[in-house]
Amino acid sequence: MTRSAEAALLIATVVVAGMGVALVNFASGGGLDAQVALTLLVFSIAIGAIHMAVRRWAPHANPFIFPLAMFLTAIGFIEIYRLDSRLVSIQRWSLLVGAAASVALLYALRDDGVALLRRFRYLFLFAAVLLLLLPLLPSGWPLHGIEVNGSRLWVKLEIGNRYASFQPGEVAKVLLIVFLASYLAERHIAMAIVQRKLGRLSIPEPRQLGPVIIAAGASFVILVYQRDLGAALLLFTMFVGMTYLATSRMVYPLAGSVLGLAGGLAAYRFFDHVQVRFHSWLNPWDDFAGSGFQIIQGLFAIGSGSLTGAGLGSGRPDLIPAAETDFIFAAVAEELGFGGAVGIITAYALLAALGFGIALRAREVFLKILAAGLILVVTMQAILILAGILRLLPVTGITLPFMSYGGSSLVANILLLTLLARVSHEVRP
Amino acid sequence: MNGPIRRIALSIFVLFGLLLSAVTYFQIVVGPDYRDNPRNLRVIAGKAGKERGIIVTIDGTVIARSVSNPDDSRVFRRSYPEENLYSHAVGYATLLFGESGLEETQADVLVSDRDSTISGVIQALLGKNIRPEGIVLTINHRLQKAAYEAIDGHTGAIVAIDPTTGAILAMVSKPDFNPNLLLGTSAGSYGDELAARPDRPLLNRAIREVYAPGSTFKVITAAAALENGTVGPGTTFPNPVHLNLPGTSATIRNFGRSRCGSEATISLNEAMSLSCNTTFGMIGLEIGAGQLTAMASAFGFGLKIPFDLTTAESSIPTIAAFENDLPAVAQSAIGQRDVRATPIQMALVAAAVANDGWIMSPYLTEKIFDSSGEVTRHTTPIEWRRAVSPSTAEALSGFMESTITSGTGNQAAVPGIRIAGKTGTAEVPGASPNAWFIGFGPVQATTGTAKIAIAVMIEDIEKGGTGGTVAAPIAREVLEAFFSD
Repeated sequence: MTRSAEAALLIATVVVAGMGVALVNFASGGGLDAQVALTLLVFSIAIGAIHMAVRRWAPHANPFIFPLAMFLTAIGFIEIYRLDSRLVSIQRWSLLVGAAASVALLYALRDDGVALLRRFRYLFLFAAVLLLLLPLLPSGWPLHGIEVNGSRLWVKLEIGNRYASFQPGEVAKVLLIVFLASYLAERHIAMAIVQRKLGRLSIPEPRQLGPVIIAAGASFVILVYQRDLGAALLLFTMFVGMTYLATSRMVYPLAGSVLGLAGGLAAYRFFDHVQVRFHSWLNPWDDFAGSGFQIIQGLFAIGSGSLTGAGLGSGRPDLIPAAETDFIFAAVAEELGFGGAVGIITAYALLAALGFGIALRAREVFLKILAAGLILVVTMQAILILAGILRLLPVTGITLPFMSYGGSSLVANILLLTLLARVSHEVRP
Repeated sequence: MNGPIRRIALSIFVLFGLLLSAVTYFQIVVGPDYRDNPRNLRVIAGKAGKERGIIVTIDGTVIARSVSNPDDSRVFRRSYPEENLYSHAVGYATLLFGESGLEETQADVLVSDRDSTISGVIQALLGKNIRPEGIVLTINHRLQKAAYEAIDGHTGAIVAIDPTTGAILAMVSKPDFNPNLLLGTSAGSYGDELAARPDRPLLNRAIREVYAPGSTFKVITAAAALENGTVGPGTTFPNPVHLNLPGTSATIRNFGRSRCGSEATISLNEAMSLSCNTTFGMIGLEIGAGQLTAMASAFGFGLKIPFDLTTAESSIPTIAAFENDLPAVAQSAIGQRDVRATPIQMALVAAAVANDGWIMSPYLTEKIFDSSGEVTRHTTPIEWRRAVSPSTAEALSGFMESTITSGTGNQAAVPGIRIAGKTGTAEVPGASPNAWFIGFGPVQATTGTAKIAIAVMIEDIEKGGTGGTVAAPIAREVLEAFFSD
């Protein structure tokens, strides 16, 4: 029953993807071409493979996780195609790779479940830190970091004249969630109970918290060094949030807020580009042609979209800088209007509801922390970039999960939801 | 452990709530401001690609239309089949240089509101026609062409008006330009070149530039004298060789530096038809600055002309400026010194005389029709102001007819038609004079007969030329074209 509901919804997302690409073609006078066929084919294969794997290895998984994720992927894919049709080939391959990785992950976890991952937690921590360090490799090496828009968070692998580039931080994010969930599941009681008195404040035993602080600090330092402040903020939220839910102690979010604020002030003090972003957040019109340009172009796009939107392929989202990555939401809001924008935000909110629901239902501590951590990270990522576009926060250069152009992000987020789906299978009511 | 999860989930949902509020604010509340912000490139790009309504003349010639792009049927390109002929009256709608002429002032009518505004969507759902409306001009294409050909080779302007309605029959300004070239691939360089040219082809001289009206202003001086009653059609004036101006060594001379006519005295009728500066200088001194400026403003000087296009204001100095400057009063009475008028203003002066003293509001838009051809608005002629009484108008009409039959305007005569007119040769300090002709016909036409009032202004004429020899023949060509059908 649940699986056929999932199948029906997934088929609907395949149709949405194909029809969206067709609509973009119609808008510029084209018709049903190879792009429509390829879209239908690739989405069918990717979604079909995930669905079959779920049926086989996680049959009791929540049936709405993948339809929601694939719906967002489809809308993002259509908008990427609309912005630059040359980009979709990579996006199609990324979807296939993501699906293959998802199938492989479900297969790997088929017998022991996500508990299997606990065995490798320090390996994951090590791998995550290594991945976060990769972009610092000097250029000239076959595998080296590259700087994009002032942030060094990409890695390029060059062999001869062939190359591939990816953002290791996206995968590191998932590995860190798994590490943290395992670690906290083991230590949460000790961390919550064993306390020291510091004057009138009771603080946790440093020994218990040590590895968490070290992991958080290390990744934070690395990301700040790479000038990827959006991801740093996301990782910080992840560490604070997961520690809080594992220990139920308000001291973590409170201390986290103080630390975060201090870190923000320090970043403002020491990084020019943070100052620029902060000013362009408060007064984007002061430097219309410069630092305020992107945020204002985003608002122009959203405002021009109005209630019903310009229609797919009929707006001018190409006027927004980085429309296919960070600002894809503004592009969608212009072409699909208020309805589309609310639909996107609602889809993420529904995903959050599903995720937290799974965490609440889980009885085992590890599953609880893992599910909550996964959904916290993916929704916070969406919220951070959406809040940047909508001027609730300064713009931080992170991708909108599932929708932004970028293979690493798509693959990592599919893996993230695969884990959540597997958890939901294991905590079935 | 569920407590913290619930609290985290709650915070996340509060954040989603904030995002929904923010998107509502930016897209719905202030969205229209962002959409219409002049720095939003969509405003320009959207307008440029949009379908604009068709513009046709009253006799059915297409002046402007939108042609859809062969590659993308939703993108339109503006086309002006008559090229330079309507470059000032209709103007242009371009991406690079904005809009001008009727394309600018009637943009609300001509641009389709097929957009995603809430009202637009509701209208579309209600089946309301949201394709742009078209405009029928009052201009007669045949007459416009005749005027265009008549003025060819000169710098200047022609305005022809139906005096009984105010409908513009022709409007030409020279030099001109081809609006199609402001849309093509080399639009930028063409537009920059036009803007840089010293002869200012982008300027609509018919309505946007003021010139000393010279002797054509004598119609207003005569009107003031007749209305005030001190002068009647039969009054005679002394006829000196030149008029000494009080308080200065300056004098007013007649054209050719001689006596006007041969007699020692001269009638107002003769003084008008021979364009005697001495006589009108005297009249000016007699009636004074107050009456002169009052009559000029009765004809519309110093006022914004109610019109489809933006016009420059014609002007005469204020009474205060004339105080203790009697020479200025006398010189203003013959349309010199600081008196300035647009060609359309002087066409309205002729039209007032033709229409029993009433000036009708000029208009260029005859009617507006929707995409199904249904007329949605039809312009009703309305009086703008009363310039003079019918009896004064009749007297002026008689003087102006003499000007054609036995005076300076004889080259504007049209065989078989009673034409009335007045010439002018306005001195421009430091440059060649400007030639004027204003007039109308037929004189004393029976009700229902088609009438025309005209103003011709030619800048910077050759040495020896006058309004009578340069402007009057051009007017005649237009009048002949008007009366030939």
